[in-house]
Amino acid sequence: MPDRRQSFESVILPHMDAAYNLARWLTRNDQDARDVVQEAMLRAYRFLDGLRGEARPWLLALVRNAAMTWLKQNRPVELAGGDAAAAQAELADADTPETLALRALDRRLVNEALAALPVQFREALILRELEELPYRDIARITDAPIGTVMSRLARGRRLLADSLRAICRASAPKVHE
Amino acid sequence: MTHDDDAPAVRELSAAIREKADYYTAPASLLAAVRASLPPGDAAQAPPPRRAWLGQAAALAGAAFAGALVTWSATTWLRGDGDRIARDLLDAHVQATLGNRLIDVASSDQHTVKPWLSAHLPFSPAVADYSAHGFELRGGRIDRVGGHAVAVLVYARRKHVIDAFVWPADAPGREPSDLTRDGFNLESFAAGGMRYALVSDLNRNELHDLALLLAQDAAR
Repeated sequence: MPDRRQSFESVILPHMDAAYNLARWLTRNDQDARDVVQEAMLRAYRFLDGLRGEARPWLLALVRNAAMTWLKQNRPVELAGGDAAAAQAELADADTPETLALRALDRRLVNEALAALPVQFREALILRELEELPYRDIARITDAPIGTVMSRLARGRRLLADSLRAICRASAPKVHE
Repeated sequence: MTHDDDAPAVRELSAAIREKADYYTAPASLLAAVRASLPPGDAAQAPPPRRAWLGQAAALAGAAFAGALVTWSATTWLRGDGDRIARDLLDAHVQATLGNRLIDVASSDQHTVKPWLSAHLPFSPAVADYSAHGFELRGGRIDRVGGHAVAVLVYARRKHVIDAFVWPADAPGREPSDLTRDGFNLESFAAGGMRYALVSDLNRNELHDLALLLAQDAAR
């Protein structure tokens, strides 16, 4: 395969940032994200012939799989516990996030709240908001039905809004007496 | 629970994430490590080294491109068709993004970018900053597409880089076809005697917004 290296350079490597960003958000640290990307890139290279359609979602699926394997081995607790959080999110549905002054929020707070989300909500939001992928691609990457993706996005947003609201309450001085 | 992406509260939260959450770009050392880890055997096809950033780039640009410019009006554009040009444009965009040589002249000031481009090209594209519309001018560079030097205006929207390639519309040759490939979009149009081709991983709708802004100014 004399052209494999070349196609890898032109088809896969342009999506290096997307790969690292997803890995970084799933592992939540630089060194592990690098390992995950390395692993995924090697697989991408090996299985390049299997690529049909767009490269970015295909690569992100490999990254996501490598990250999940890593999480299973190193942080098994994180893969559990999502259901409880989801149930909590539904309890809070009566609350609407409109009142939240989101625009005024600090970058750091948004990052912390997003990083604290259970992994299945975090990955859905990253793929949707930062990679701007359609539901169809997110479903393929996360190996879930589209309906599940949509409900994870909704619940993820709900959880995020709740935790941002909690942060705001805790940190903001009482201005309305 | 809502599944509706268009609900105002959802839009607001989406905007907060898009604007404020970190987008972690891959460290250069990781790219090098990935390249180094690939199985040997194939001839290593690393892309040609790219000049690094403004200083050397600007100094070299004059000499490097002078030869190319002479041939601009003399010959045909490119033997291939619109798809071939489109592919060249995408490759140029990817190479620039990967090689970190996005910008020869870094400035958000149109009065800096325009004279620089004019000084290095036989034509003078309109240059404007559209920060008010969410498209921030980052600078400009000169690229070679199909053997010809073209102006590139570099814009940023959120984490996306948009290259606006500009060359005279009356230059012999074809128009690039609009296309989507590997997550990159290309939109081309002619206005004010210039041919524009926008390339980015930005979504089509927003790319079209920038096309409208550019077309409006070019037609003036």
